[in-house]
Amino acid sequence: MDQPELITQLQLGDESAFTKLVDEYQDMVYNTALGIVQQADDADDITQEVFIQVYQSISSFKGDSKFSTWLYRIAVSKALDHEKKKKRKKRFGFVQSLFGGDGEEQVHPVEFDHPGIQAEKKESAAALFRALKQIPDNQRIVFTLHKLEGQGNREIAAIMNTSLQAVESLMSRAKASLKKELNDYYQKNIT
Amino acid sequence: MNKQEDINKLIDDALNSADDIKRAAVKPFLLTRIHARMNKGKESLWEKAGWLIGRPAVAFTGLCMIILINITVVLVNKPSAADYAVERSSQQQVDEFSYTVATIYEIDNTQQNDK
Repeated sequence: MDQPELITQLQLGDESAFTKLVDEYQDMVYNTALGIVQQADDADDITQEVFIQVYQSISSFKGDSKFSTWLYRIAVSKALDHEKKKKRKKRFGFVQSLFGGDGEEQVHPVEFDHPGIQAEKKESAAALFRALKQIPDNQRIVFTLHKLEGQGNREIAAIMNTSLQAVESLMSRAKASLKKELNDYYQKNIT
Repeated sequence: MNKQEDINKLIDDALNSADDIKRAAVKPFLLTRIHARMNKGKESLWEKAGWLIGRPAVAFTGLCMIILINITVVLVNKPSAADYAVERSSQQQVDEFSYTVATIYEIDNTQQNDK
């Protein structure tokens, strides 16, 4: 079953087409989410949400962009929404803790260890992922899609619905921001 | 090599650490979990409605609308001076031409007096 046929079958509500879609794109969606939220369980939740959204709104896919672009767009948007919700929860937990509740226990920020990184690069990658959390969302998305998903600038521009120049500018700003964050981190932690 | 040079090397290493990254594997039975979640979503329609109504913005807007409707109803139905005059004159007419019905108590007393 080729991609246009798969989409047609999905639009007709074919269950086997949905199974095939999940099989084909689960790694792409999961890894995009994982790169953004840096939590395996959260990325798994987001992956489920993305496929449910695809199932529910496949009729709105008109084929103006590539299907993978549309899917990336949903994954990125869901991952960012998830992060916002988590930040709200963290703030609420902090307020709860002020009033003697156990809100602080609801969020456990842990250092991210991406399973796809080579063993000898784990430490450097942990510093990179820590720095990624500190930079603005749009810079982070561009960097993540490029470095982790191997997407080109043109594809990233389509996913983010922006121009090629904007993506190039965001990428260069992302690198500068990351360098600054990493420099600050190493200045504090290297004696 | 001084400290800043060490740091610069560490920064370059960190930026290049994700260059040959491999994709992480998804936990097994993703499709089963998706189906379970879809079915759960279908069951909790009332929960969704409750969640929507319970949102502060929606609840506050609803409350404001109820108060506004109440105020409007009170203001629209407030009797004017003319209505009051009509009501008063009709009450006077009723009083003037009313037929007073004797109570059982008065009838009983009258019968006893006759005896």
